[in-house]
Amino acid sequence: MLPGVGPKTAQRLALYLIKRSDKEVEDLAQAILNAKKQVGLCRVCFHLSAEPVCSICSNPHRDRNIICIVSDSRDVIALEKTREYRGLYHVLGGTISPMAGIGPEQLHIESLVRRVTKEKVAEIIIAISPSVEGETTTLYIGQLLKPFTKVTRIAFGLPMGGDLEYADEVTLARALEGRRELE
Amino acid sequence: MYLQNLYLRAFRNYLEQEVVFHSQKTIIVGNNAQGKSNLLEAIELLATLKSHRALRDRELVLDGEVAGQIEATVKRVYGTADLTIKLRKQGKRTFAVNHESLRRSVDFLGYLNAVQFSGLDLDLVRGGPESRRDWIDGLLIQLEPVYAHILQQYHQVLRQRNALLKAIRKQEQDRQLGLSTTAIDRQQLALWDAQLAASGSRVTRRRARVLTRLAPIAQSWHDRISGKTEMLQIEYAPNVEWTEDEPEKVQLAFLEKMELRRNAEYYQGKTVVGTHRDEIDFTIDGTPARYYGSQGQQRTLVLALKLAELELIEEIIGEPPLLLLDDVLAELDPNRQNQLLETIGDRFQTFITTTHLSSFNHDWIQDSQILTVKAGKIVEH
Repeated sequence: MLPGVGPKTAQRLALYLIKRSDKEVEDLAQAILNAKKQVGLCRVCFHLSAEPVCSICSNPHRDRNIICIVSDSRDVIALEKTREYRGLYHVLGGTISPMAGIGPEQLHIESLVRRVTKEKVAEIIIAISPSVEGETTTLYIGQLLKPFTKVTRIAFGLPMGGDLEYADEVTLARALEGRRELE
Repeated sequence: MYLQNLYLRAFRNYLEQEVVFHSQKTIIVGNNAQGKSNLLEAIELLATLKSHRALRDRELVLDGEVAGQIEATVKRVYGTADLTIKLRKQGKRTFAVNHESLRRSVDFLGYLNAVQFSGLDLDLVRGGPESRRDWIDGLLIQLEPVYAHILQQYHQVLRQRNALLKAIRKQEQDRQLGLSTTAIDRQQLALWDAQLAASGSRVTRRRARVLTRLAPIAQSWHDRISGKTEMLQIEYAPNVEWTEDEPEKVQLAFLEKMELRRNAEYYQGKTVVGTHRDEIDFTIDGTPARYYGSQGQQRTLVLALKLAELELIEEIIGEPPLLLLDDVLAELDPNRQNQLLETIGDRFQTFITTTHLSSFNHDWIQDSQILTVKAGKIVEH
């Protein structure tokens, strides 16, 4: 029932846990329970957080002029790993998908607009994957926020260290679309 | 290009079968339901990732097995490629080229090209518009593999837009019944309009482009087969009409038509504008071939289309594609049969299924590798 865990791994984990001491297993169970009980959503950016306001939003060293919009908390974690980005985030909690019954109302968009209009934000970076639903969401947010601030989106294209000749056509076409002038 | 060998495991009625091809022509003989067409179907899958006979992979895997496999080695001008498709009773297909697995199915396309010609192809003329759309899409996928991705995107947009229109219709019905409703932002539809216009314009422009190139080739083949007595015309009739081949202008045409058909879409709760409603018109001497063509005229038309496909793929890819003739020679009269066999000559590696060798002339049998299929086993003569 856990994502990413197949029957073989599940069996391995179960056998491992059975061999551990009662104390160790109890600690693990308690840790899972605590995480479940304590972790909620940051009331500013909706990233996972044990506090009402997450550690990124409350960090005085972060650049408050830039907000990066992502669809999921996983994307925040991935971007944080790069240590390249020093601004704030806003987690939408999904992408627009009528098939799944998700419209703009079901996403954290209203709060985003409030944030952008209230605080002086210099730039919005949209970092949503380029699926059909992701593109639609990007389009929507772009239209919504353009009157208030500069809106950019991250580039999609070739992986570093990848040779052009090995890139697939879809990626190449996208990379061409997002080309830039040499500085 | 040349298909050097084919290996099937738990595919259709083959438990395990390896075939090595050593002639430009391979004739596959056998009674009905022994596995002749399954062999061609495996090649078709390698070329297009589609089967014209199966909707689900489940049908392609031998009963009692969880997964089937197709392997092949293709010789191209630039080198050889080992292709592998793994099909599962449940779950997704996986692909490998030169034993390296691929993340995306689109990347598998383009290593092998084939034109399939079977009795079912008469549907191209007689069937509904979707058979003609499938045909042109299948050709486009071979010529421009990225089209597979474009088409997939279009259908995803279509599904999403239909879901939204259905929800809007439901909301309207509930409102009229005085039920409380969850408010759906009709502004959201504008987003999906834009997406449909963007992906639809990609589809329609590519369809138009390939038909422009294919039509004259098909016409000239049709002239030759019919002895210039009849005039074939192939015309693309897109649901959204456009004149200037520029992305922005085509998109604008989509948006305008959606605006025009707004009420119909609300009423029907689905998308009525777009490339999923395109048609391709075949006319012979000015009358639609679908309704007025005789059986003979329709066969001539299909043959001309298939020969044109062969020629166009060769022209664009730079190498002759494989030709798969599934039980189709017997259906052609001697004149058309000769026309086809002459064209094939030695240029295209050809696979022919038949129930009787007697329908071929002596020279052909001499030149060909002959395989006999019986209950999922292949024996060489």
